This record gives sequence, C-alpha cells and structure tokens, in this order.
Amino acid sequence: MVSAAQVAVEVDGLSKRYGTLEAVRSVSFAVERGEVFALLGPNGAGKTTTVEILEGFRSRDAGTVSVLGHDPSGRPRALRERLGIVLQELAVEPNLTVREVLTRNAGYYPSPRPVDEVIALVGLEGKASSRIARLSGGQQRRLDVGLGIIGRPELIFLDEPTTGFDPSARRGAWDLVRALQEGGTTIILTTHYMDEAEALADRVAVIARGQIVALGPPSSIGGRDVSEATIRFRMPPGVAASDLPVPARAIGEFAELTSADEIESLHRLTGWALERALPLTGLTVERLTLEDVYLRLTAGSDGAGSIGAPTEQLSASVGGRR
Amino acid sequence: MSGLALPSKRGTVVADVMMVGRQLRYEQLNFWRNRFGAVFTVGFSVIFLVMLAMSGATHRAAAIGNIALIQYYVPGFAAYGLMSACYNNLGISMVIRRETGLLKRLRLSPIPSWALVGAILANAAVISIVQVILLLLIGRYGYNVVLPHVWAPFVLAIAVGVVAFTALGAAVSTLVRSQESAGPIVSIIFFVLLFLSGLWFPLTPGSGLAKLANYFPIHHLILATAAPFDTAPGASPYAWHDLLVVAIWGAAGLIVAIRRFQWEPHRH
Ligand SMILES: Nc1ncnc2c1ncn2[C@@H]1O[C@H](COP(=O)(O)OP(=O)(O)O)[C@@H](O)[C@H]1O
Ligand SMILES: [Mg+2]
Repeated sequence: MVSAAQVAVEVDGLSKRYGTLEAVRSVSFAVERGEVFALLGPNGAGKTTTVEILEGFRSRDAGTVSVLGHDPSGRPRALRERLGIVLQELAVEPNLTVREVLTRNAGYYPSPRPVDEVIALVGLEGKASSRIARLSGGQQRRLDVGLGIIGRPELIFLDEPTTGFDPSARRGAWDLVRALQEGGTTIILTTHYMDEAEALADRVAVIARGQIVALGPPSSIGGRDVSEATIRFRMPPGVAASDLPVPARAIGEFAELTSADEIESLHRLTGWALERALPLTGLTVERLTLEDVYLRLTAGSDGAGSIGAPTEQLSASVGGRR
Repeated sequence: MSGLALPSKRGTVVADVMMVGRQLRYEQLNFWRNRFGAVFTVGFSVIFLVMLAMSGATHRAAAIGNIALIQYYVPGFAAYGLMSACYNNLGISMVIRRETGLLKRLRLSPIPSWALVGAILANAAVISIVQVILLLLIGRYGYNVVLPHVWAPFVLAIAVGVVAFTALGAAVSTLVRSQESAGPIVSIIFFVLLFLSGLWFPLTPGSGLAKLANYFPIHHLILATAAPFDTAPGASPYAWHDLLVVAIWGAAGLIVAIRRFQWEPHRH
C-alpha cells in the first residue's frame, strides 16, 4: 500500500452510462505520483469517458474518484489549476498567434511555465508569431500539448496524444512525455497504440467495452512474463523435425517450438547443433508481445474491428510475433 | 479523500474582474483580426448607411413627419449594428466555439465559467458600442443629423438592446447543431426579420407587414433607438412599450439559452 500523499488518482467502482449504453463499467485503479499510466483500448472502449470524469468535465453515475485529493465532480478551481489537459480535438481561436494563446492561458494559472520555455519544449520556436489558422495539423497538436503544460501541472491527461502523427512527430511527443515524467509530473494517457503504451507507461490498464480487462506493467501484463517462449530457426539442411533434440514442428523451411523453460531447450538445441557443426540461422526466442496480449484481451470488442478480424486476433495470440 | 482544499490565492473578486478584462482583450484581438467577420458585422452597418444616404435619404419623408430620412436611418442602423454584433455574430461564433471544442477546453481550464461568459458578452457589447459611435459620428458630421439633446433614452435603448439580443444570439446558438449550418441558419432568421423591421423602408402603419413585424423584437428596437432622435415637438424620447417588447424577447432568449446551453460539441 502506498501512502495517501503518494497517490495522484484513485478510482473505485467508476461507472457511467449514456442512455442505455454502459460506457464505463465498475472501473477501479490507482495512479501513483510521478507515474505514467496508460489506458489502452480500442475505439469506443471508454477511455475518453473515464479521463473526462477524472478531469471533472463529465459526471459519473457510480463510484468514487479522487484526483490530487479532490473529488473532481465539483470542478474545484484549486484542482483545475493543478491539472494539464490535452483533448482529443483541436480547439484554439484561429486568429490569435501561438504566443498570444499561450500567454493568455498562462494567466489562468498561479505559477505558469514561462511562455518561451513552453514554445521551445513543444518545438514551435519558428512559429511563435504565426496565427493558429496557419499552423499545420501537427503544429496545432503541439500547441495543444503546450497549452496542456503551460500551467506547470502536477498531473497531465493526454487523450490519444499521437493519433495522426507521423513517426518523427510521434518520437518527439514520446520524448516530451519522458521529459515531463523526469520533471516529476504524473501522466495519464490514453492510446490505442500498443507500442506507445509499452514505450511510455509504467503501468497499463487494458480497457475493453468499458471494463478493465488487465492491469500491470507492460512487461508482465496479461501473463506475458510467465507465458511460454517460442523458439524459431531455419531448419538446417538435410535435417527433419524428428532428428531434432527438442519437440519442434516444421513450418515451411523453419522449425518452431514452444517451451516453458527456454534456457534448457536452447541449451540442448545449440549443443546438438555445435556437435554436428550445423547452422541455426535466423534463431529467435520470443515471448507474447503486448500486441498479442492486447488482441487476445480485447477480442470481440465493439471497437476491435479497427485492428483486425476476430480470427486473426486468435491466431496472433498463439503465434507470437509474426 | 477530500484532502486540504487550499484556497486559491488569486480567487479575489478584483483578480477575477481583471481576468475578464484580459480575456476580453483576446476576444477583441480574435474578432478584429478576422477581416471577413469584422466587415460583415461592423462594415455593413456603415456601408448601408452611406449607400442609403447617397440614394436620397437626406430628403424629407412625409410618412415619418416630414423629417429627413437620414435622421431615422442613423439610429436604425445603430440598432442594426448592435443586432448584427450581439445576435448574428455572437450566435454564429457560439456555435463554432462549441462545435470546435473551444468552449470545452476553456471549461477545463482554471478560468471561472462566469468570467469566460462575461468576456464573450462584453466582446459583443464593445463591438456594438464601437459601431454606434461610428454611425453617430458619420451621421452628425457627414449628414448633419440632429443628435438627441438628452442621451439617457438612447443609452437605455442601446443597453436593453445589447442585453436582449445577446441573450437571443446565445439562445439561437443552442438550436443549431453544426458549425456548417450556423452561418446560414442564424443569418437567415436575422435578415428575414430585418426585412420585416421597417429599416430599409418605413412600414406603412396598419399594413399586414407592420402587424407581423410588431410581434418581433427587431422592429421595436429600431423604434426605441429612433425615438430619442425624433425632432417632432412633444414626441417622447422614451419608447417604453417598444423597450418592453425587446426586454420580453430578451428574457425568453435568456431562458432558452440557460436551459439548453452545453459546453461540448454535438456528436455527429
Ligand atoms: N456524449 C456521449 N453521448 C453518448 N454516447 C457517448 C458519448 N461519448 C461517448 N459515447 C459512447 O460511449 C462509448 C465510449 O466512448 P469513449 O469514452 O469516447 O471511448 P474511447 O475514448 O475509448 O474511444 C462509445 O460507445 C461512445 O460511442
Ligand atoms: Mg477517445
């Protein structure tokens, strides 16, 4: 148990419905101060609804929520001054410049970051005097992030911060998240990219159909760390699967085996190959990827259509990295 | 779980009023920099007045007591400019602010909602007042319009108009669901009612059009702003009945606006 002072966010039994749709169903989790916490799930899983309740924008139907020691439902200003929020949609007055909007919003907070520092942090130095309407989509998104951090927040919500980014902009955003974490900021982000959750988050909650289906560090979520490893290599010339010292099956020109104790299996296999001076080209050892776990956990989910048909998901979950 | 709710250091009334002032400054910047919006809102009242003046409005008209028509057009277009800023521009911009997520973002920031709404309303008021002053100056120095001897009735009419038409603009913005339809819907209502208002040509008393126009606030606001300009002996500068009609419409608009207001975009 962590002490109350170390908890940034505590959610217990949170539920929310829109009409008859149960968008969030009895969700519970806690986020420690300084942690990067990811809500990972397909479109429509309930990620935005959950964070908007934490932000105080949306009411909840059931459950208790504490954000930096406040119940966000009354939208206390003392809480809003300590939060940074990056929404999924872009929204800034089009005829103001980057510097003007940042300066204006800085005035809403008790101890904002210097405007120039924020402009540099989000890489908009060359655009400080440009009107918002003339920024590219990526630049607007970066301004969005700038508006999220201008108030020197203790806790930042990033709702799908890199959706629509090209790979280099994405790396830039990731670097910024890491820099913010190093500065002690607690970060709650939503994403439907598994690599993003894996790269950034200390802990991930996989959410599907409004429910958390797995929660833990990306390295061990969904039993990744205790699952069987898959060993693959190119079948040496003139060798049949039955000749091998391990129970492998031939898949095309490759041999593949799954093993709960890959050290032992590898030892036998490589010893056998060394004795006979046979090559084991293309040798790989893989555990379940986060993607495999994710697809298995969210299989059949409403929004899962965007990431592949159910049959593909099942085969992916047994096959390891393709 | 409640923790210590530290009082906001800057939560004093003075600081919040200053916050409205700051916000208003950026509202003004954003408005005047949008050339199209500024011309459509402010430029038109001036252009209409000058065009009508050039097409013979300096002549005297028997229908309105043998006074120069321009004497009637100056307060009329002051009312038009006010409605254009408070109803038309505010109505359209509220839809855009809501549907682009601008309102939602500000709702999530620490600025108090009342300070934000106050700045938006003050913005419409400032744009109205700028136009009124501009039109009065053009009327006085361009066309020798006789300005009111006492300003109170005119200021009252402008004040009631700003409040009422701002409420109506906010109300109509809640009836429009998408950014694309905001301009057409809000403006069509405006121009149809304007046409009925007797602004372009004085309505013949007792005609069908005049009776219809009587039910809507635009016609009455024009009468209320024109009354202080009436040079006829014995005419009252306070058009109480007209002000009352405008105020009733404003109150109705306020109720609709408050009941239907929402911060977040519609889902499409
Ligand atoms: N304002 C709303 N009104 C009605 N339904 C909504 C609203 N917002 C979201 N939903 C629905 O609730 C579910 C969860 O949505 P959301 O929280 O936006 O998911 P995510 O962010 O994970 O994509 C979806 O089925 C969505 O269509
Ligand atoms: Mg979302």
